[in-house]
Amino acid sequence: MFWQGLLAGFAEAWIYILVALGLALCFSIMRILQFAHGEIYMLGAYVVYYVLFGTHVNYFAALIISGLTLGVLGIILERIMFRRLRGNMEPALLAAIGLTLIFQTIGAILFTSYTKYIPVPGIFSGVLVLGTVKLPWIRLGIGIIGLVLVLILILVIRFTKAGRAMVAISQNAEAAELQGINVNPISAITLGIASALAAIAGGLMGTMLPLSPYMGTFAITKAIGVIIIAGIGSIPGVIVGGLILGLVDGIVPLYIDPTIADIIGFGIVILILLIKPEGLFGHE
Amino acid sequence: MKLGWNLTWFILVIVAFLVPLIIRSNDYFLSIFILCAIYVILASSLRTIASTGQICVGIMAFTGIGAYTSVLLMMKLHWHIWATLPLAGLTSMAIASIIAYPSVRVRGIYFSMVTLFFVQVIQAILMEWKSMTGGSMGILNVPSIGIISIFGLNIDFGHPLPYSYFVLVITVISLLFLYRIDHSRLGTTMASIEQGELLSKSVGINTVGLKVASFCIGSFFAGVAGCLYAHHLRVLVPSSFGLFPSIYILIDMVAGGRKKFIGPIIGAIILTIIPQLFSSFAQYQPFFYVAALYVVLYTLPGGLADLPTLIKSRLSKMRERRMANN
Repeated sequence: MFWQGLLAGFAEAWIYILVALGLALCFSIMRILQFAHGEIYMLGAYVVYYVLFGTHVNYFAALIISGLTLGVLGIILERIMFRRLRGNMEPALLAAIGLTLIFQTIGAILFTSYTKYIPVPGIFSGVLVLGTVKLPWIRLGIGIIGLVLVLILILVIRFTKAGRAMVAISQNAEAAELQGINVNPISAITLGIASALAAIAGGLMGTMLPLSPYMGTFAITKAIGVIIIAGIGSIPGVIVGGLILGLVDGIVPLYIDPTIADIIGFGIVILILLIKPEGLFGHE
Repeated sequence: MKLGWNLTWFILVIVAFLVPLIIRSNDYFLSIFILCAIYVILASSLRTIASTGQICVGIMAFTGIGAYTSVLLMMKLHWHIWATLPLAGLTSMAIASIIAYPSVRVRGIYFSMVTLFFVQVIQAILMEWKSMTGGSMGILNVPSIGIISIFGLNIDFGHPLPYSYFVLVITVISLLFLYRIDHSRLGTTMASIEQGELLSKSVGINTVGLKVASFCIGSFFAGVAGCLYAHHLRVLVPSSFGLFPSIYILIDMVAGGRKKFIGPIIGAIILTIIPQLFSSFAQYQPFFYVAALYVVLYTLPGGLADLPTLIKSRLSKMRERRMANN
């Protein structure tokens, strides 16, 4: 049972990591807390669901479509809403809160309440049996997909011009502009990438838990926990932070209680704030 | 100027005391009145916390703590409202003080993040601790505050009209406290932290201590509001004390304007009454809050409380232009 909890936690961890990475990117580059990021995750899950049931594409294509759709939404949101609030934390937070309410209410109205699951794709169906332990393949699959996406992100940031521009802006936005980097399109791309990752995370989570218009709150809460634990400015940090929270959420509910898992997660956050407020891997 | 403001407050209080009498035959209106008063306390508490630059997105955690404290003390230990009301506030404040220190040492946005987490943890605890809180079903038979004798008269505060006055008196007292704190040396020092934290620290102001203090003061009154809320609704469920109810209070404060003390009061009253008028559109209620939020964010940053100032400045500009043209 422990191993099943471990694997479930591992899968959840990668979902947290994907959402938290996007949030961290927005935070480092645009200096705003994209509170509605959880709703993007929720919309991503629903897009995957409706694409799968409306067309004949397979699961992975649906994930990509969802990522692209929400990525475009992210770019549009940056342009119409966040661009003029960039750097201004409080109004940006409030605007994002408003966005959260908008998406959640639209979701609650549009998406009826009967249970919706995203079916597990054929390649990941079934369980891997090791002795007495049954490990659902999908959870390994989520971890693999998450890892691949994070690797792609790292490559993009390291080797593309836009990626290096992002790093420059996160270190010193003014200096980056003096170097000729145009912050506006880079911010748009950032929110686009972040939204795409969150959408895919939602699509992945939909294979484990039923969809709900309120699933976004869960995602944003975990993502914020991860970035407090990890600190700002480090991708490996987010991976470690996500794994910590994910494994707690996977294992503790089996032996004690899901609520205790939440409390332990919160306790870890408070502990980090007390001992190392800049996060385990934070720079600033 | 000073007489003008004090007169305004005085008139407002008189009007507030007359309203329940006027609407006394309609229990529904009285209920809205009571809820308005409770949200006024909550929005004003939020403003006190925000006076040091900290935006709390989870005020309902403390409301819930206060509510359950008062109800449990009354039901299990049979304590009287005069004991459970302050204890509701004190319990909230005690718990706030525990999480306050780590949350205020770091950048302001982290404070918001921690309060986000905290309200959900508290809600989860309220839902899971079935033996104490009745779980997600909650407590369904909250006692009224009972019969209290005032000046020899025995008044049953279980009924809406007397309870309205009870709530109103507590609200006025709470607002008085918050106002006095805000306009005292303490309050101005707290405001200076928001203006420039580094600068405040450099002149020796204990920014961490004051941030903890403002958080504790705000949470105390949120707990008091929670107690009033519980004994009004007579039903206590954890879902009332989550993230989104807290966000609505936050929007009350922002829409009313948080610079002036009266801002959150206006915001809470308007944003509580208007959705009730359109209660048939309950599904779309969040859109109303969103609209109020965005109108204030993008066109009226000082909130509705700033409207008179804005109108005055526009009028004087028009007058100037007319005089210049002549």
